Amino acid sequence: MSKTVTANGFALDDAGQRIVVDPICRIEGHLRIEVNVDENNTIRNAVSTGNMWRGLEIILKGRDPRDAWAFTERICGVCTGVHALASCRAVEDALDIEIPRNANSIRNLMMLAQYTQDHLVHFYHLHALDWVDVVSALKADPVATSALQQSLSPWPKSSPGYFRDVQNRIRRFVESGQLGPFANAYWGSPAYKLPPEANLMAVTHYLEALDFQKEIVKIHTIFGGRNPHPNWLVGGMPCSINVNETGAVGAINMAWLNQVSDIINKSITFVDQVYIPDLKAIASFYKDWTYGGGLSGKNVMAYGEFPAIANNYTNESWMLPNGAILNGDLSTVHDVDPRDPEQVREFVTHSWYEYPDPDAGLHPWDGVTEPRFELGPNAKGTKTNIEALDEGAKYSWLKAPRWRGHAMEVGPLARYLVAYARGQEDIKMQVDGLLSDLGLPITALFSTLGRTAARGLECSWAAHKMRTVFDDMMANIKAGDVATANMQKWEPDTWPDDTKGVGFGEAPRGALGHWIHIRDTKIANYQAVVPTTWNASPRDPEGNIGAYEAALLGTPMADPEQPLEILRTIHSFDPCLACATH
Amino acid sequence: MASSAAGSVPKSAYRRPLYVFEAPVRIWHWLHALSVVVLSVTGYLIANPLPSIGGEASEHFLMGNLRMIHFIAAYVFAIGFAVRIYWGFVGNKYSRELLYLPVWRGEWWRALFEEVKYYLFLRREPPHSDAHNALAQSAMWFFNTLLGLFMIVSGFALYGEGLGLGSWADTGFGWAIPLLGGSQQVRMLHTLGMWLFIVFTILHIYMAIRADIMSSQSSVSAIISGWRTYRD
Amino acid sequence: MPVQETFYEVMRQHGITRRSFLKFCSLTAAGLGLGPEFAGKIAYALETKPRTPVIWLHGLECTCCTESFIRSGNPLAGDVILSMISLDYDDTLMAAAGHQAEELLEQTIEKYDGQYILACEGNPPLNEDGMYCIQGGKPYVEKLRHMADHCKAIIAWGSCASWGCVQAARPNPTRATPIHKVILDKPVIKVPGCPPIAEVMTGVITYMIAFDELPELDRQGRPKMFYSQRLHDKCYRRPHFDAGQFVERFDDEGARKGYCLYKVGCKGPTTYNACSTLEWNGGLSWPVKSGHGCLGCAEDNFWDKGSFYSAVTNFGSLGGAEATADKIGGILAGAAAVGVAAHAAASAISHIKSSKSRGARHE
Ligand code: HEM
Ligand code: HEM
Ligand code: NFV
Ligand code: SF4
Ligand code: SF4
Ligand code: F3S
Ligand SMILES: [Mg+2]
Repeated sequence: MSKTVTANGFALDDAGQRIVVDPICRIEGHLRIEVNVDENNTIRNAVSTGNMWRGLEIILKGRDPRDAWAFTERICGVCTGVHALASCRAVEDALDIEIPRNANSIRNLMMLAQYTQDHLVHFYHLHALDWVDVVSALKADPVATSALQQSLSPWPKSSPGYFRDVQNRIRRFVESGQLGPFANAYWGSPAYKLPPEANLMAVTHYLEALDFQKEIVKIHTIFGGRNPHPNWLVGGMPCSINVNETGAVGAINMAWLNQVSDIINKSITFVDQVYIPDLKAIASFYKDWTYGGGLSGKNVMAYGEFPAIANNYTNESWMLPNGAILNGDLSTVHDVDPRDPEQVREFVTHSWYEYPDPDAGLHPWDGVTEPRFELGPNAKGTKTNIEALDEGAKYSWLKAPRWRGHAMEVGPLARYLVAYARGQEDIKMQVDGLLSDLGLPITALFSTLGRTAARGLECSWAAHKMRTVFDDMMANIKAGDVATANMQKWEPDTWPDDTKGVGFGEAPRGALGHWIHIRDTKIANYQAVVPTTWNASPRDPEGNIGAYEAALLGTPMADPEQPLEILRTIHSFDPCLACATH
Repeated sequence: MASSAAGSVPKSAYRRPLYVFEAPVRIWHWLHALSVVVLSVTGYLIANPLPSIGGEASEHFLMGNLRMIHFIAAYVFAIGFAVRIYWGFVGNKYSRELLYLPVWRGEWWRALFEEVKYYLFLRREPPHSDAHNALAQSAMWFFNTLLGLFMIVSGFALYGEGLGLGSWADTGFGWAIPLLGGSQQVRMLHTLGMWLFIVFTILHIYMAIRADIMSSQSSVSAIISGWRTYRD
Repeated sequence: MPVQETFYEVMRQHGITRRSFLKFCSLTAAGLGLGPEFAGKIAYALETKPRTPVIWLHGLECTCCTESFIRSGNPLAGDVILSMISLDYDDTLMAAAGHQAEELLEQTIEKYDGQYILACEGNPPLNEDGMYCIQGGKPYVEKLRHMADHCKAIIAWGSCASWGCVQAARPNPTRATPIHKVILDKPVIKVPGCPPIAEVMTGVITYMIAFDELPELDRQGRPKMFYSQRLHDKCYRRPHFDAGQFVERFDDEGARKGYCLYKVGCKGPTTYNACSTLEWNGGLSWPVKSGHGCLGCAEDNFWDKGSFYSAVTNFGSLGGAEATADKIGGILAGAAAVGVAAHAAASAISHIKSSKSRGARHE
């Protein structure tokens, strides 16, 4: 290959040193990244490989469509519930089932809680250590850290003594020699820019966020019986509401509703007083680390999420809108229709799958999942000991989804750009506020940091939105509507013989769609195209590279032996490989 | 030919009544029959409960009672089964016919073949047998002895789940649960066993009554009085 | 050489007084279902021992078991990870990546040969030479075997590691295989559930560390302390089951009154787990309490036993449709009845015929 320019306009050069990072840690699932760096240690070629496949699309065939949510929920436990929701929507679409208003509100609450928890955990536990030096926190002055904290937010856990205790704990931990999850990392690298006090504050919040995240998901526990993997139901939600009748203790009652309300308040406080201030503080030290934009300034897409109106999955109803932006043209937002066979298609030319026509794209309703593992002629190593992959051939367990033939970036940043371009006020205010606080232009969003910032803003948006949705639901219950499930078409004998449906929306990591074909009351075909499938996608037959590969290009590495820069950019997408390959 | 050993006796010959089913066998038979009916009805309702009833839970105990009746009948079934096996060792020679199939005896196979021929209308008169003909014996062995044992093992394994880990039923029968693929699988097989019992019962009652009408030897009265009598 | 700090020291440094440390120990003892006399033993163990190294591997899975683990409220997951154990390898949480991460495995073997706990989440696929789960360019099963060779004991987290779970559901395209069928020479403690309850996970770890022994296991290798009873045995809806009061349809009158979910498919009567007693997320609720039947998620192969919404189990498929015991049995019994009727008719005809011919001869 050596030097080429891809169809989507990226220059690739695989001449220099090849660096392999496998496993990429602090993500969900198994991902491998290979890059070539030039003589200045700048990345000139990038290869993203999904390292796992389980075959859920095959396993689903022949099963009862009403059970599918439980299977697909197990696609991922990190974004738990989102596949269950997509699956319920797909079956409801196929069978023409309308869900009650309360079910819509409960689903929105659960999904919003998922956004809030997932984004929070991602920021502190999966991403922060790319920016925060744990060891440097030992050098911090607790008094100065306390002052820093108090200058940023009214969060009460901010005394010098508190920070001293945490610091001592870390010190003892480090001195013990048993460094646990912090061992062998890149502490002290010149790529870390935070002063010790900011590091100590962030490490402290790493621990606080770990404690707090488990409170947010209690919303799932109340409505879905547990978290992770709460329960869902085709036709609505399985939890009944009973606020004023005999037996209310055995249903969603006033005590539980109060608890939900309380969790919402606490979530808003935590996100706004801890996460957002930390995000701004950290970002302000990395303003000149402008890499990792990749596809974000070109092609982004969102299906839309959070229907304000039950059973209405259009922009009339979406609280976060649907749309696609091509070539960075924010003035035109295209409508995205997951049903249109011309729009969403998956390719497998570079994927470990087989199609009847190897280079054709298939719309998911006609999708085929047929595994075929093989290494290209230029791969190094053996089948079971791969040293380097051959990206000219098949090289990943991910398929390559494309929208009208374009590789697209999806996720919080994509959603925010679509909403921004559509002129949605609440989102515009948030984005403009952050940019003016940091003194940055909108183009600064097209970067690793932009992706991380959008996620933070969205976390806050989601926490606040829970309040709106909850209040709406209470008003509806007050008006006397307690229905949570529509069981009219529960029995298979009420179903058509042959029908198709699609369930789509936005998972925390981006656009998610499940396509189902039901024949004779059983699943004839089931296909999922998942956020990380879009972002971590391998190349397509035209040579378009996916978002991960694009985002790594042009990034200088301080030390190619220490893949910190690769981790930063890849982590900014919040990879989920179990999702991507399923 | 087949008729000499297990075959038919000349029609005209008068045969004296024969004492086949001793009292314990007869008593067992009717208790057994009753318990199977009760177990099947209650078992079916455990698997497919009746429409819900309203009111306070504390006022009703419908499922609880069904289960209790099932368990009482299960004890009758199991103890009866054990007594019947014991009797097979100490009772008359006919009482042993339920314990094993003499598959090593050529004439038994021939009698079986003749009996099948009879039921397929390929032979007008049934071959003669004192207690059970070979076909009935096979059915009894498979559908009663073997299946009964299975129902006891699977049933007490499930019972042990309720009594708790380390209870006598768990210690004695709990091993069957992982062996058969888990608790849900055991219940499924236990229910399938019920259906096999029902199939057996249908065939068995039909054949018993049919034999009374069509053959030359008494059948239903034999399992009531113990005496096999002969006509013609 | 750096001093290895004990859990107690860490707690003290964390600003925790001896009194609340002891309270923690008695809560832990209570959480494990042990009497107060055990609190002292736990305290002693935690005061004197260096943190036990744990290697946490991930195979084919959804990582939900990790997510569940970090929901633990008592003890807090953060305290377990930072203070009770030394989580020397866990690709979901560790800071290092690539070869820096992989080196830690060898370092652990070198320093703690035969002493570390191997915690397995997910399972290895065996088809395609194991390349349905690749780590560092190699099949995951190799890494699993290598790390198992040197460990003290294995914890199989969740239903994936314990039984195979969703990826092993029919037709199991990757031949995903539970840990105990791959590692035959080490004790495997199964902690099933899809995922397991957080406090069950931390409870098992705490027990192993505090008592320095494996928990007592049942016939199938599950800790008795959490898996010895069915949900149904301790379900608060049990009075409705016994009464015969069932939810007939989701969101019906019975559902709003909290009736038993048996008829809408609850697998509580056949599922061994602690949900109905410990409950989830700090004892807040569990599937049944929030209106959906138990899926049976802690049981072997719960995916392939038929609909989650039917009390009846699938037998396998019979000409495209599911065969349940009632279906097969009904067909057999029906066939027997029809057969009997037909045979009776045929017998009657042949009887009449033969008596006629006999009668004719007599004439
Ligand atoms: C109205 C119901 C029933 C009638 C009229 C009936 C009749 C009979 C008759 C006539 C025999 C003697 C067979 C022979 O002559 O070779 C017999 C034996 C037997 N029956 Fe039944 N039966 C009934 C119900 C049942 C049921 C429900 C079962 C169990 C499922 C059962 C199990 C047996 C067994 C195991 C024997 C063999 C007894 C022995 O040799 O120890 N019977 N029955
Ligand atoms: C011919 C003999 C028997 C028949 C036809 C029979 C039938 C049944 C059926 C149909 C069920 C329902 C299974 C389900 O829910 O899928 C059942 C449950 C059960 N049977 Fe039996 N059974 C028999 C013998 C026994 C015996 C000997 C025992 C020993 C104690 C036993 C104990 C049980 C138990 C414990 C249950 C579960 C009840 C519950 O958990 O609510 N059964 N039986
Ligand atoms: N990619 C992905 Fe998910 C998300 N968010 C699913 O749809 O993470 Ni597990
Ligand atoms: S056992 Fe279930 S929850 Fe745990 S990793 Fe496997 S699929 Fe996920
Ligand atoms: S809800 Fe489930 S576990 Fe509870 S009593 Fe009913 S069947 Fe048993
Ligand atoms: S589905 Fe699993 S979580 Fe508990 S209630 Fe059933 S075992
Ligand atoms: Mg797919």
